[in-house]
Amino acid sequence: MPQIFEASKKAFITGNEAIAWAALAAGAEIMFGYPITPQNEVMHYWTRLAPEYGKGFLQTEDELSAGFTVCGAVQSGKKAFTATAGPGNVLMQEPFGMAEAMRLPLFAVIQQRGGPSSGTVVYSQQEVTLTTYGGNGEGHRIVYSTATHQEIYDYTIKGFNTAWKYRFPTFLLGDGYQAKMREPLEMYNPEEHGIEMVKTYPLVGLQGKIGEDREPQHLCNIYSLEEELYEVVLKFAAEYEAITPELVEYEEKGCEDAEIIILSHGVVSRAADDAVKILRAQGIKAGYFRPITLRPFPQKQLREAINRKPARKLLIAESAYGQLDRLTKQEIYGETVAIENLFMPGVGIIDYDIINKVKSIM
Amino acid sequence: MGEYASGKSEVAINRALELKRQGREVTLVDLDTVEPFYTLRTLKNDLEKKGLKVLAFTRAQSFGLGETGAMLNPAARWALKQEGDIILDVGYGVFGAQTLNLVEGAYESPELKIMAVINYSRPMTGNRERIRSYIKNLGRVDAIVANTHMGDESTIDIIKAGNQEIFIVAAELGIPIAYQVLDEKLKDSGEKNWEIPVKYIKRFMPTAIW
Repeated sequence: MPQIFEASKKAFITGNEAIAWAALAAGAEIMFGYPITPQNEVMHYWTRLAPEYGKGFLQTEDELSAGFTVCGAVQSGKKAFTATAGPGNVLMQEPFGMAEAMRLPLFAVIQQRGGPSSGTVVYSQQEVTLTTYGGNGEGHRIVYSTATHQEIYDYTIKGFNTAWKYRFPTFLLGDGYQAKMREPLEMYNPEEHGIEMVKTYPLVGLQGKIGEDREPQHLCNIYSLEEELYEVVLKFAAEYEAITPELVEYEEKGCEDAEIIILSHGVVSRAADDAVKILRAQGIKAGYFRPITLRPFPQKQLREAINRKPARKLLIAESAYGQLDRLTKQEIYGETVAIENLFMPGVGIIDYDIINKVKSIM
Repeated sequence: MGEYASGKSEVAINRALELKRQGREVTLVDLDTVEPFYTLRTLKNDLEKKGLKVLAFTRAQSFGLGETGAMLNPAARWALKQEGDIILDVGYGVFGAQTLNLVEGAYESPELKIMAVINYSRPMTGNRERIRSYIKNLGRVDAIVANTHMGDESTIDIIKAGNQEIFIVAAELGIPIAYQVLDEKLKDSGEKNWEIPVKYIKRFMPTAIW
């Protein structure tokens, strides 16, 4: 694979640009997309870079089409991706569901905006439920929630590999702040960091006679009989559960002696991290837990963190009205820790908000 | 004008305030046609309290317009008819200096100066070739403001090395460097040896929406 950078270099960029550059470094070949804020600069920068590096881009007529063209492109063996937000994420759930059904290595970036409907173009964490469990039926997908530009860059590269290695649709879940904020990061060729990019391969049009040279390639999103579907759903569920331990990622700080653990994800975890440091300096034993994979959720690790001391309280902080909260409760069912919440739907959360909340409940 | 996130608004605000401090009448115009409702909106009131006149949409004016999108603030079209000094903060986009087509009398004005703000740490202006082609694509550029920085991780070395590359390209293209910009936090760095005049700026944009 040709190297995009002569050497790794530090740059000052927005999160959306980080995605475009990382996709390029990851060897992505084509992006399909339809404009929506706050992901527009992913497209803007990809379309500026694409001609220089011989890459493709198609602006489709809507998000349904953008999602389905990615489904088509990856079947032909192309490393393809899309990016969207808000109502566009809603529309893309149908193609995302197809990718779940057919086990397509689709990679999509979601930059959350406010909702319901067009809401705001600015920021939220209100697309957690949709991005983790938005398809009809019970498909499986992998969702990384990033917190910094460096992570956006790293997990875009990783996201392509995860999708092609495991053949489950993979998502990078960001938000409008991460999309538009500017901060320094290191841009690098994956090889320089010892990352080997998974080779892409066509899923259709394969050589050889079926039954003699090779098994048939069943890429199927509809079945005639209940039992046929039942078998496939169970098979995929078992496969997903088997790889879950190697997929799960999380970050934990100071939970060993924590009276209260602050649970957050994405950009809010930056505020939580600061809040924990300040609270500790003030003598309040606070801990920090952040799922990086929202799906699969690090449920075993969170249960362990809660029970280590054990913590008396778990504070769930999110820029949504209880999406991480619901996700967490279903994952840690049976734990007796008191769960408190700080829900600020569609607005930013800073360390001060978390500190005040903690002090009001401790 | 300049590349997306090159520091145009920060430079424009600081220049406007600098002129204001000299007792001049200053109008700052948000001419962002890509995200016309976002750039200076949240800063408008604070800047007006400092005595600037700011032509930008307010919340009330943009309520219901919701999305980003191509929309020109009518006051921006006639901005050059304002008294005193006028600073146009031209948003990024593919049209470069052509955006000034939207402003009445821009090309007839003998006083109009088009300044390109360039940060060498931005990948699209991150080497000589890219700077060269970027400036050429902008169209008319009368002077360059060298604004290399790395946000909170800026160092004098990064700034000096990056701006040096900008100076080289500017010399090749025959475009003067107006000045170079440094975060006021770096004022005490002890560095005195500046080839090109330095203006220290206070960062306002961290309180903008994005």
